[in-house]
Amino acid sequence: MGLLERQFEENVLTTKVDWLLNWCRMSSIWPMTFGLACCAIEMMAVGCAHHDIDRFGAGAFRASPRQSDLMIVAGTVNFKMAERIKRLYDQMPGPKYVIAMGACATGGGPYYKYGYTVVKGVDRVVPVDVYVAGCPPRPEALLEGLMKLQQKIQQSSVVRRPARTA
Amino acid sequence: MSQSTTLPTAAAGTGEREFMLDVRTQDMEVNMGPQHPATHGVMRILIRADGEICTGAQPHLGYLHRCAEKIGENVEWLQYLPYTDRYDYLAAMNNNLGYSMAVEKLMGIEIPRRALMIRTICAELNRIGSHLVAFGTYGLDLGAITPFLYMFREREWMMALFEKICGARLTYSYIRIGGVFNDAPPGWLSEVERFCDTFEEKWQEYVDLLMVNHIFVQRTANIGVIPKAMALDFGLTGPMLRGSGVDWDLRRDMPYELYAEIWKSGCFQIPLGKGERGTLGDCWDRAYVRVMEMIESIKIVRWCLDSIAPGPVIAEIPKTLRVPAGEAYVGIENPRGELGHYVVSDGGKVAVRCRVRGPSFTNLAVLEELLPGALIADSIAIIGSTDIVVGETDR
Amino acid sequence: MEFRGILDRLRAIGAPGLLGHDEPRGADPADKKDKGRAGDPFVLVDPQRLPAFLEVCRDDERLAFDILIDLTAADPSKDDPNLWVLVHLLSLAYRQRLTVKCALSKAAATMPTSVTVHRGAQWHERECGEMFGITFAGHPDPRHILLPEDWLGFPLRKDYVFPDEYHGISCK
Repeated sequence: MGLLERQFEENVLTTKVDWLLNWCRMSSIWPMTFGLACCAIEMMAVGCAHHDIDRFGAGAFRASPRQSDLMIVAGTVNFKMAERIKRLYDQMPGPKYVIAMGACATGGGPYYKYGYTVVKGVDRVVPVDVYVAGCPPRPEALLEGLMKLQQKIQQSSVVRRPARTA
Repeated sequence: MSQSTTLPTAAAGTGEREFMLDVRTQDMEVNMGPQHPATHGVMRILIRADGEICTGAQPHLGYLHRCAEKIGENVEWLQYLPYTDRYDYLAAMNNNLGYSMAVEKLMGIEIPRRALMIRTICAELNRIGSHLVAFGTYGLDLGAITPFLYMFREREWMMALFEKICGARLTYSYIRIGGVFNDAPPGWLSEVERFCDTFEEKWQEYVDLLMVNHIFVQRTANIGVIPKAMALDFGLTGPMLRGSGVDWDLRRDMPYELYAEIWKSGCFQIPLGKGERGTLGDCWDRAYVRVMEMIESIKIVRWCLDSIAPGPVIAEIPKTLRVPAGEAYVGIENPRGELGHYVVSDGGKVAVRCRVRGPSFTNLAVLEELLPGALIADSIAIIGSTDIVVGETDR
Repeated sequence: MEFRGILDRLRAIGAPGLLGHDEPRGADPADKKDKGRAGDPFVLVDPQRLPAFLEVCRDDERLAFDILIDLTAADPSKDDPNLWVLVHLLSLAYRQRLTVKCALSKAAATMPTSVTVHRGAQWHERECGEMFGITFAGHPDPRHILLPEDWLGFPLRKDYVFPDEYHGISCK
């Protein structure tokens, strides 16, 4: 930190803006209460005492998309629901993230072949950051997905670098 | 909260009453869902409201329609089993049981006694787990967050038990056509017994914490009353029917598996709504039936634990099933009501028709009748008391 | 009451629209191809008179089928000209079930609604309507229930062709 070091009182830390912002973002990801199917029960289990998603700062399930940063698509998406998911995603303020939880949200899961109303993966409707495998995934798997998302957030930057010219 | 729609009264001559009478309200349509924390899944209800009072309600379903019945006509008999897990995902064991029994009825298989015992234990444990979620989320709907956390603590143990016996927490596919997938691992039965001991203690906690809680009673008593005649007309089953005081439980009245024997031993009762805190058939009665059923299930599990003996756990069945031509309907008592499977076979490897009669689907239809006249705040209590699982209403 | 008892009673009171019945039977030893039929017995009823039949079943004091458990349909095969409409009834007082089957022509799949007898039939009929293309005349609310309102085709018919895309979302 060269220049800035030893310029202030003792209890002042110096850091990068990127690091600070990312740290804030990744430690208070507020998910949306958005259970679709079976996976939602495991999502509830993650929120409860035994697995306790609060340890990662993501325990404040919000009922409104306007207040949330993360959409955990927990379950099968069908055509009727897909339009709503798109709308809910559009209503979320940026930066926003999506976790596709379980086989159905990832790629149609067991309903891939004969499910005439099932969307074969939520990524056909909204962009997905992290895919969590399993049918349904164990709570630990969802927590791992959350940590992967935190890693992803850590690498992001607020500074827009100019596009490189060849 | 009362459901009366009388106009507010105020002292005459002050002008206040005239002012209140002058407030003209307009019908407004309020959309609840499909993403709403109080709808128990992706269901949408269009409520027409006059001020704070519902004047009409229109449930919209199909946000989780996953074509289970079409899939049943396309995959082999055994391959369909995992799909049964996924319609009522809170009571997957019961669904497995219902489907297996329907196919077994067509095939005429004799199930080994130990398998029947393990099936009964699993189905009853799953009933407890399902009622725990139903009751916990009901508290959550009404603003009580703590009981929900308590109930998931016990449910977590129950799921660990299931994980030990079949390797899955939620979607088991454990009860197979002809028996169960494998025998209980060593020590499992004694752990179930420990669970029963602990659960009985904790159950008392729930009753004290929520069931007789003054706020809870105020929010649920006299709300959403379903009279007996309406319950029959709409074809309600399970706790919804028993909450209205109709003494009907398939486990006793049309016994399947071992239930005839268990009922004869007199170890369990059928809890009924009695209108203890309000009117017969109100939300409190339905919640009461569910809570009491949990403890009855523990008694059934204990009976099985006492009389289980070693033996085979699955009948001899071929790898590729060919089910004799015919059609069979089997209804079993799911935590939510009568789960019916109607299967038609033409003698081939694949079903001709695989109909699932989900109890949530019929139980939900009563909302159209119940919500008009209720306050919007009470509509949450009414929806919660129907205890639906959207996976099953939409299949 | 066993199935035979129910059948005799239905005949005795002259239940409207009763056409016949079918019971499970063993294989015919004379005919090698015949494997018999397993499962439940059922009664065959004229679909146009189903509501009257259900009403009689409900109101007769010795039958008392007061709960309509399920109303559904089935498409037995691609070549069959008929659909089946199936009703499962339950009597609480006598602890008995009855399966009612109606054969309904695919070409003219229209029958009267049973909502007037059992209100629980309302949603079941809506589901049958969208899945099999059956029209229930006199139904108070004949919208789609599970499928989107603009869905084409009847998914549970055997000749249903899976869609390629819906509102711009590919199904492949």
